[in-house]
Amino acid sequence: MCTTAPHTKTNGIVERTLQGIIFLLKETISNEEIASRKGLLQGCDPRLTCISIFLFLGCILLTKSILQLSFLYLACLILTSASAIHLGFFLKRTLLFIPLFSLFIVLPAIFNNVTPGDPVYAFKVFSFDLSITRQGIDSAAIFFMRVLTSVSFATLLVLTTRQHVLLKVLRIFRVPQLFVMTMGMTYRYIYLLLDIVQNTFVAIKSRVGYVTSTKTGRRIVGINMAGLWLKSYRLQTHVYSAMLSRGYTGEPQVLNSFHARPKDYLLLALSSTVFIGTLWLNQFTH
Amino acid sequence: MAEPIYTLKNVSYAYPGSISALHQINLEIAQGDRVAIIGANGTGKSTLLALLDALIFADTGTMHAWGKELTERGMNDALVQKDFRTKVGYVFQNPDIQLFCPTVKEDILFGPLQLGVPKEESIRRFEAVVEQMRIQHLVERSPYQLSIGEKKKVAIASVLIIEPDVLLLDEPTAGLDPQTTRDIIGVLYQAHKSGKTVVMASHDLHIVEEIADIVYVFGEQKTIIRSGKPEEILTDFAFLQSHNLIHTHVHRHLHTSHVHSH
Repeated sequence: MCTTAPHTKTNGIVERTLQGIIFLLKETISNEEIASRKGLLQGCDPRLTCISIFLFLGCILLTKSILQLSFLYLACLILTSASAIHLGFFLKRTLLFIPLFSLFIVLPAIFNNVTPGDPVYAFKVFSFDLSITRQGIDSAAIFFMRVLTSVSFATLLVLTTRQHVLLKVLRIFRVPQLFVMTMGMTYRYIYLLLDIVQNTFVAIKSRVGYVTSTKTGRRIVGINMAGLWLKSYRLQTHVYSAMLSRGYTGEPQVLNSFHARPKDYLLLALSSTVFIGTLWLNQFTH
Repeated sequence: MAEPIYTLKNVSYAYPGSISALHQINLEIAQGDRVAIIGANGTGKSTLLALLDALIFADTGTMHAWGKELTERGMNDALVQKDFRTKVGYVFQNPDIQLFCPTVKEDILFGPLQLGVPKEESIRRFEAVVEQMRIQHLVERSPYQLSIGEKKKVAIASVLIIEPDVLLLDEPTAGLDPQTTRDIIGVLYQAHKSGKTVVMASHDLHIVEEIADIVYVFGEQKTIIRSGKPEEILTDFAFLQSHNLIHTHVHRHLHTSHVHSH
C-alpha cells in the first residue's frame, strides 16, 4: 500500500534550516563576487583597508556627537558607493537585524523613569505619568547611530575583502599562523560538509519521501548528525595526511603577497585625520 | 635495469581492528619506471600508495626507499622527512582532501613553501605549473567553486610544483570527462619524459596501456597476483574477467546485438 504522508512539522524545520544555511552560504559566495569588483576599497591594500576601518570604528566609539556620527555614516555610504556596491542592497543588509534590534533595546531609555531630563512629550499609562525626555532621545539616538555606523563599516569591510584575505590580514595583528590557517580550512570545508548534508537529505527524500512522524524525523536527523561526525572525522584524518605528504611539519608557511601603493595610503591618511579630528573635537563636547 | 628506488620485501599492513589491507607484497620500482597498479575495489591499491608515500608504515616486512629503510622513527627526523617529501609527490584519489587552502593559488604553493623552497623560486614554479596545466583562470578561485576535473588538475599541479622524482597517483582519471582525461594523460606522459617515476593506481585499463611499462595486479587476498608488461596482461581477458577488472555483456545496436568486454 502506498500512502502520501503529510508534510510534517519536523521535516519542515529540517528542510527550512538546511535551506537557510544554504542561502546564507550562497550570500557569502555573492560577497566574493562583490569583493572581486573593481571598486575603491577592493583596489586598496587589504591591510590598509583593515587599519582604516578600525580607525573609523575607533572614531565611532569615541565620539559623543550625533552630528559627527551622522558624518561618519555618510562617509561610510560614500565609500560604499565608491566600492561599486548598490546602496539599496547595502542599506537592506545593514539596517535590518542588529540596528533594528538595538533600537528596540534602547527604546526604554527615552522615557523619564530611565533617563530623567527635560520632558518633550508627556502622557499617562494606567495612571502612571510618563514623559519622553530630550536627554533620553539624545542618548538613544547616539546609541542607535553608533550601532548602525559600526555595523555599516564592519559590513563594508567584509563585503569588499575576500574571506581568505581578511584572515591573512589577521597576521598583521600578530594572530598565530596556525589559528589563521585553521580558520581558513574551516571556511573551506564547511562547503564540502554542507554538500554532504544536502545530498544525504535529497537521498533520503528520494527513497522514503516525506518523513511520516516527528519521531522518525528526529531519528533521521540524529543518524545524519552521527554520520556527518564520522565523515568529518575521516576527512580530517585524510586532510592531515595530504598536508604531511606535501611537507607540513606543524608550522604552516604561507606567501603574503600584499603590496601597498601610494594611493592606498590616501585612505589611511583620511581615516587617521578623521580619528585625530574626533579626538580633538571631543574636547569641546560635553 | 636502473637502481631501484623502492624495494618492498614481504610487506604486510592491517588497519586498526586487524583488517588486512596488504599481504606479503614484494616489488621493486626503479628510477624512470612507469608502474600501474590495477585491481578490483578494496584490494589494497590505495594502501600501497600511502605506504610508498610514508604516510603509513609496514606492520611486517621491510621497505626501502633510495637504499634507506623507510620507518616511522626514521621519518620523525625533520631532515629525512624534508628530503623524502621533496622526492615523492602523492596525488590523492579525492581532490577535496588535497585542496584544503582557501584559494587555488595558496593550495598550489603550499608544498614548496613548507619544503623551504625560496619564495621567488616558488612563484617561478607556480607560474610554470599553472601554464603547463592550463589553469591560469582558476588561481584566484576557491577550490569549492571548481568542477571535479578542475579540482583534479589543481591537485596534480599542487604536487608537480614540488618537482618530485616520484609521482604517486591514485585513480588520476576516475570520474573525469574524456578531454580532462586526455589532458592528464598528457601531463603524466610529459612527467615521465622529464625523467620522473610514475606509479599509478587505476581502474581505467585504457590509460594503463598508454602510460605504463609494468603492471601489478592486486587480488582479493590483498596481494600481487600477477605482474608483467601491459600488452601481456591487458590482452588476457579471461584473467582480467576472473579478477573483476573487466566484464562482458551484451550490447544492442538497433536490430543487432553482440557480446562486448569493458
